[in-house]
Amino acid sequence: MVLTGFGVFSSIGVGAVEFAEGLRSGRSGAKPITAFDTKGFAHANGCEIVDFQPERWIRNLDVDELGRASQFSVAAARMAIDDAHLDVETLREQRGLISIGTTDGESFDLDQLVESEIWFGPENMDATIARRVRAGRLSAAVAHELGLTDVEAVTIPTACAAGNYAIGYGFDAVRTGEVDFALCGGADAMCRKTFAGFYRLGTIAPELCQPFDADRKGILTGEGAGVLVLESLESALARGARIYAEVLGYGLNCDAYHQVAPNQASVARCMELALDNAGIKPSEVDLISAHGTGTKANDITEARAIREVYGDLPPRTISIKSMLGHTMGAASALAAIACSLAIVHGFIPPTINHVTTDPECEVDCVPNEAVEADLRIVQNNGLAFGGNNSIVMLGKYEGVR
Amino acid sequence: MPVATENRQKIKEIVCDILELEEDEVSDTSLFREDHDADSLRAIEILASLEKEFKVVIDQSELARMVNLQGVYEVVAESTGR
Repeated sequence: MVLTGFGVFSSIGVGAVEFAEGLRSGRSGAKPITAFDTKGFAHANGCEIVDFQPERWIRNLDVDELGRASQFSVAAARMAIDDAHLDVETLREQRGLISIGTTDGESFDLDQLVESEIWFGPENMDATIARRVRAGRLSAAVAHELGLTDVEAVTIPTACAAGNYAIGYGFDAVRTGEVDFALCGGADAMCRKTFAGFYRLGTIAPELCQPFDADRKGILTGEGAGVLVLESLESALARGARIYAEVLGYGLNCDAYHQVAPNQASVARCMELALDNAGIKPSEVDLISAHGTGTKANDITEARAIREVYGDLPPRTISIKSMLGHTMGAASALAAIACSLAIVHGFIPPTINHVTTDPECEVDCVPNEAVEADLRIVQNNGLAFGGNNSIVMLGKYEGVR
Repeated sequence: MPVATENRQKIKEIVCDILELEEDEVSDTSLFREDHDADSLRAIEILASLEKEFKVVIDQSELARMVNLQGVYEVVAESTGR
């Protein structure tokens, strides 16, 4: 199973080329939030996409009928197909899967509806906005835009690990021959509800996201989408496609241990499931892209779980959330793309904003500067509220074996 | 700095409401976590409700003291300045 096309919208770069440059140079997407009114919050930085032009990518649907998260998912799907040099007419003749993960769906629109309900009454809620809110539209709109009828379109709402769940589902669907191709990934848009929720929990950093740092103060909320084209190796070779990376396997579990606190044993178990599914040993893994949110709780628990599985010398463990913030349901999809680009271009993206590693997070997080590296196998962690964990294993494509 | 009686009653109501307890189930010194199965999210809910009710700001570091009603009375008293 191989990845042959990427659609990327992130605060540090749009498209695979720009995203790879952003990752290599350690670009930061952090800036004051403009998506919603932040009056009353003592601090309000985030990783917004400020110059998104959906009309450039969405040709058939009316963009006003789509919420911002759906705009991201549809635009990223279109970009991924173009990037893979796939012909839409050909795809329409095939069986496909569209699986898009999300945390918030169209909560930005829900924020607006609730606000107008409170100020002006429910009869004054905007009908167009109300039509946009169903989370199922994040995937269904992709099918509509591309005119794909022989597809299953599913939105997977497993919060901040949802992108990896969506990739795992695509991996199984292609591997079993159920479909010929999968467009999988994740999408989310900035919203007041999520910002306020994390703020109330005391987990929004005032300025910067500093994963694994002794002085880390929490997350920065972000937005965007990552969509990956997944197909069989035979299919990719037959059409002479460029292959970014192989998907080797994945693991997922849900422990339901606590609403927000991650469980170390369960995270470690998920890594073992992913390693087993991919048929690889811990010693073969060259890099871990951590969930690495930059909160006190996540980073300690995740680092300890990694050492539980990998022993005292774990592979280098980075967090791209230091650069593009926490893009929620898009996070693990964008991270899977980042891992693949790291494999292709031979570098490890840095964990930026890093000063001093927390002694309780004993990992080499590749502080501040990217390093050159020949990566064969990379593990991509996604951990979510409710104990929803999903981990995808990616490998370098080294020719027909 | 003692808390006014009516404030103590209001605080108790808030805590009992969030922890889903009857008022006679909780004493000034019974522990939210150990005795009443509360977790950190409930503690934050209590903190947020107190901030709204008394129009004060309570630093999250105070959660360490807010383990029972007595601790909450003290934290609220200090934050309201009386």
